[in-house]
Amino acid sequence: MRNRGMDPDEDEYEEYEDDEAEVDEEEEDRGASSRKRRRSGFIDDDAEEVDEDEEEEEDEEDDFDDRGGRKRQYKRMAASNFFDEEAQVDSDEEEEEEEAEDDFIVDEGADLPEEDGGRRMHSRRMLPHDQEDHEDLEAMARSIQERYGRRATDYDEEATDVEQQALLPSVRDPKLWMVKCAIGREREAAVCLMQKYIDKGSELQIRSAIALDHLKNFIYVEADKEAHVREACKGLRNIYAQKITLVPIREMTDVLSVESKAIDLSRDTWVRMKIGTYKGDLAKVVDVDNVRQRVTVKLIPRIDLQALANKLEGREVVKKKAFVPPPRFMNVDEARELHIRVEHRRDPMTGERFETIGGMMFKDGFLYKTVSIKSISAQNIKPTFDELEKFRKPGENGDGDVASLSTLFANRKKGHFMKGDAVIVIKGDLKNLKGWVEKVDEDNVHIRPEIKDLPKTLAVNERELCKYFEPGNHVKVVSGTQEGATGMVVKVEQHVLIILSDTTKEHMRVFADDVVESSEVTIGVTRIGDYELHDLVLLDNLSFGVIIRVESEAFQVLKGVPDRPEVALVKLREIKCKIEKKISVQDRFKNTVSTKDVVRIVEGPCKGKQGPVEHIYRGVLFIYDRHHLEHAGFICSKAQSCVVVGGSRTNGDRNGDGYSRFPSLRTPPRIPQSPRRFSRGGGPPMDSGGRHRGGRGHDGLAGQTVKIRQGPYKGYRGRVIELKGTSVRVELESQMKVVTVDRNHISDNVAVTPYRDSSRYGMGSETPMHPSRTPLHPYMTPMRDPGATPIHDGMRTPMRDRAWNPYTPMSPPRDNWEDGNPGSWGTSPQYQPGSPPSRPYEAPTPGAGWANTPGGNYSEAGTPRENSAYANAPSPYLPSTPGGQPMTPNSASYLPGTPGGQPMTPGTGGLDLMSPVIGGDSEGPWFMPDILVNVRRAGEDSVVGVIREVLPDGSCRVVLGTSGSGDTITALPSEMEAVVPRKSDKIKIMGGTLRGATGKLIGVDGTDGIVKVDDTLDVKILDLVILAKLAQS
Amino acid sequence: MFFHIVLERNMQLHPRFFGRNLRDNLVSKLMKDVEGTCSGRHGFVVAVTGIENIGKGLIRDGTGFVTFPVKYQCVVFRPFKGEILEAVVTMVNKMGFFAEAGPVQIFVSNHLIPDDMEFQSGDMPNYTTSDGSVKIQKDSEVRLKIIGTRVDATEIFCIGTIKDDFLGVINDPTTI
Repeated sequence: MRNRGMDPDEDEYEEYEDDEAEVDEEEEDRGASSRKRRRSGFIDDDAEEVDEDEEEEEDEEDDFDDRGGRKRQYKRMAASNFFDEEAQVDSDEEEEEEEAEDDFIVDEGADLPEEDGGRRMHSRRMLPHDQEDHEDLEAMARSIQERYGRRATDYDEEATDVEQQALLPSVRDPKLWMVKCAIGREREAAVCLMQKYIDKGSELQIRSAIALDHLKNFIYVEADKEAHVREACKGLRNIYAQKITLVPIREMTDVLSVESKAIDLSRDTWVRMKIGTYKGDLAKVVDVDNVRQRVTVKLIPRIDLQALANKLEGREVVKKKAFVPPPRFMNVDEARELHIRVEHRRDPMTGERFETIGGMMFKDGFLYKTVSIKSISAQNIKPTFDELEKFRKPGENGDGDVASLSTLFANRKKGHFMKGDAVIVIKGDLKNLKGWVEKVDEDNVHIRPEIKDLPKTLAVNERELCKYFEPGNHVKVVSGTQEGATGMVVKVEQHVLIILSDTTKEHMRVFADDVVESSEVTIGVTRIGDYELHDLVLLDNLSFGVIIRVESEAFQVLKGVPDRPEVALVKLREIKCKIEKKISVQDRFKNTVSTKDVVRIVEGPCKGKQGPVEHIYRGVLFIYDRHHLEHAGFICSKAQSCVVVGGSRTNGDRNGDGYSRFPSLRTPPRIPQSPRRFSRGGGPPMDSGGRHRGGRGHDGLAGQTVKIRQGPYKGYRGRVIELKGTSVRVELESQMKVVTVDRNHISDNVAVTPYRDSSRYGMGSETPMHPSRTPLHPYMTPMRDPGATPIHDGMRTPMRDRAWNPYTPMSPPRDNWEDGNPGSWGTSPQYQPGSPPSRPYEAPTPGAGWANTPGGNYSEAGTPRENSAYANAPSPYLPSTPGGQPMTPNSASYLPGTPGGQPMTPGTGGLDLMSPVIGGDSEGPWFMPDILVNVRRAGEDSVVGVIREVLPDGSCRVVLGTSGSGDTITALPSEMEAVVPRKSDKIKIMGGTLRGATGKLIGVDGTDGIVKVDDTLDVKILDLVILAKLAQS
Repeated sequence: MFFHIVLERNMQLHPRFFGRNLRDNLVSKLMKDVEGTCSGRHGFVVAVTGIENIGKGLIRDGTGFVTFPVKYQCVVFRPFKGEILEAVVTMVNKMGFFAEAGPVQIFVSNHLIPDDMEFQSGDMPNYTTSDGSVKIQKDSEVRLKIIGTRVDATEIFCIGTIKDDFLGVINDPTTI
């Protein structure tokens, strides 16, 4: 609608014309003699105009009509006959452009020549006085161009909205018709029409013809009636006038509206480069040349100085295409050191000083580059905080970028402000006025100002407002890299907030625009693709690390480099896979460390830190210390520089370890001492084998009771037997069979008894047999299922250690076991030395077997639950689990054939049916303080003593004498035996759930004692084995 | 700020506690359950000071448990924005320091520490003025102002400032 857009200009021109007319009148009055004076008058006029213009420029509110601007510019362009050539070129271009359209605008076209004349006159008058100063025409031409060419940019291209509205076509206006023409001949067709118009003059009643570059096969013709169009098209072979379509009034504007490519590229806008080395880089517009369609932008240079030096010195430059130097501020001194010539130049038009290196201009470290408008994109630019920060680098303070703010604001989403938002005015007279949003119109926001004396509401342009927060506000980030995070505002620096993140307790800097007030607490994004916060991932270059933060497109990964926290920012594609292996390693003292174990770091920079192990990989532990604020609390350390603390999870292992440190303990001497333990079980230990095979898998899942969530077995419960890749084998509780289901189809949080995991241990001891059995057999006994029978587990657990102990001489079972799943053994090399000779032991001397099973380096020990079972056993050494044994008595006989028989074995069966309390008993009679023991030492008579203290290695400090009055000695567990209490003795319970409780033995029934517990006054039936006589105090 | 208020709670009691000591059991259970907890509205329950009234128990079908509505007086502690508190520094790092005032954890960001105090890393990280006269380190006692609170189900987390008049270290452990 340019033709319409011209109307206001016309007014202006009319004014000029009026001026001229006046002058003319004067002229007429004074005659030719006044000519000279008149000229000078004009010059004055012009000078004034220039001043005006300059004022207008300074005042950046350039709601100018661009046409006006352009035309004025013309005047100057064509300013003088002296530089006809240059000027001509420019104006030609422009005029061509104009003619292309103007010629079709009949009514206005008529005015043009006059205007032109006017212009010419102006230009002639313009013959500037500074002409004398310049000898060199070219130089002058250049200077003029530089001086004015640039000015053009300051005029905005748009007419105001109201004017635009008034110009919209109405019913009374000529209509626009779409006429088909030959493809590729659109322009030709239009030109033909033009020619025809010129030839025939007013006979043609069309108003204009338009060919659009982007529209093939059609041209538009402006005319009042369709008949006029037909008339005009008659005889033109390029135009097929059969089909003429009317363009609806509403769409008429669209035909001529140019796609808004003339985005308001003004200075200080943020843009991004579209091509070249700087592709994607943020740049700030410092200058726009609309005429030549070029923009000068300020960039952070990506220059390889060395390469540049080489090039300048003519040395060979190796072209490395892929390499893009990182953005870095230009350091002139550095350049000089490389013998790059740095020139200082003053920009002739701005007077600013630049350093020039090989044609590139630098200032303050930034590169000033002039590029084509097409090579930058100016829409939807959202500079990130970091980028802006960089741009601010050389000592600008916050105030400097109010302008840049406007760009940020320009990209605001609709509905940015909402009623009730606290805002602050950042521009204009009301700057720093705070208020609350009351209502939002299109561009204006009505705010209720904080200050009372002001009117109730004020309408403020959206761009002059900024959200306002106060320290202490709890906010949520709604866009940008930190999107989704919440935190509390700690500090407000203009439009930048410093937020203390809720989860990481780290500071974040965000734009006030990007946050909203919120009481919600979230971590932000915690997941991209398959990778989640705190996952252990394998990276491209085979390094690995833990994800410590998830940003919108990338992860921060704490690399697995011990002793030195190394954080890398990785993109999704740089991650190879997630590492989900559950492995265990050994700490400094060869204790097994598995995930979730609490360790303390005893070496390195993080010495003293302590926390649970979250991930283990290649001997590197990732420890989560809640008090460690960096890296989301994660610390990376070598396993070797950590020690396990607490022991909730590792007791069992320590147990073994203890033994290994005291070799003497490994020998079987203890066996004699524990006949009682066997007594109850009465059978060979190994029998129990095979029952719970589940534990073989080396995943924590194995052995757990799970529920199947999907598939044909949906709803069934069962125990996991084995894990095979993504599928698991589950022994169904109700169907006595094993099915394979997808791992994702099970849910493993079925409530199970606390001992559930220890069943796995049991299984260890059972394995030996199992090969010989029919596969069914183990599962035939649903009642025995670990879930159902906590007892078992309790009883068996200790055994497992023994049976599987590396040091155990009896290894036949172990062999099998190994065959069964080598994987599980792999992690604990000690197991490997399978000792065939030990086989002989196997059946006959069960005790021997396990008595020395210290080496509980059971790699699987990691699962929490099982450990908890141990946890309450302070003296882990205590070798034997009385309960453990009993399970096996008869089963041996069953082995060959009748799996089903198992449950019936007196021992086991009985146990199974027992109340959990009793079951718990069997967990092991660890020695405790205050009980009476018989200490037997080689070559000495047994002496009665009172345990005063149980040492961490399992030995006890014993005070001799029944009342604890004699000497204090340290005795190994193998040398001690609890004094069997008699009826109505005060006793202490050494094992089971009541461990540690005291009571009175009110009766003895076979191997069971009837105990009245002091605390609860409950009467319990407990195995005599776990009862010890309490020392009188 | 501390308040002495009356709260109500439904207590479930196991049948085994029924008997002469029912009331005592109920009270001790109440204390166990309630003291140290935190609610967004009232803050931390510091101590139960008395029982106002125990309502009639209602046997719950199927379990044998009995529910008693108990009204009790208690002291609660709830931090407010703008409140001045005295707290003990528990941890110092480059982003600021954490301090505790009873059950409440308060973070004072380095932006909210006077500008003349600089972070000194090392064995005992601390914030020190340039002349070394004032030092904030672990176990220092500081007076601070709360500028923001965040209330979770189980904790109240505050952000404080010492960048104001009369705020800052009130007792330095090293000088004792």
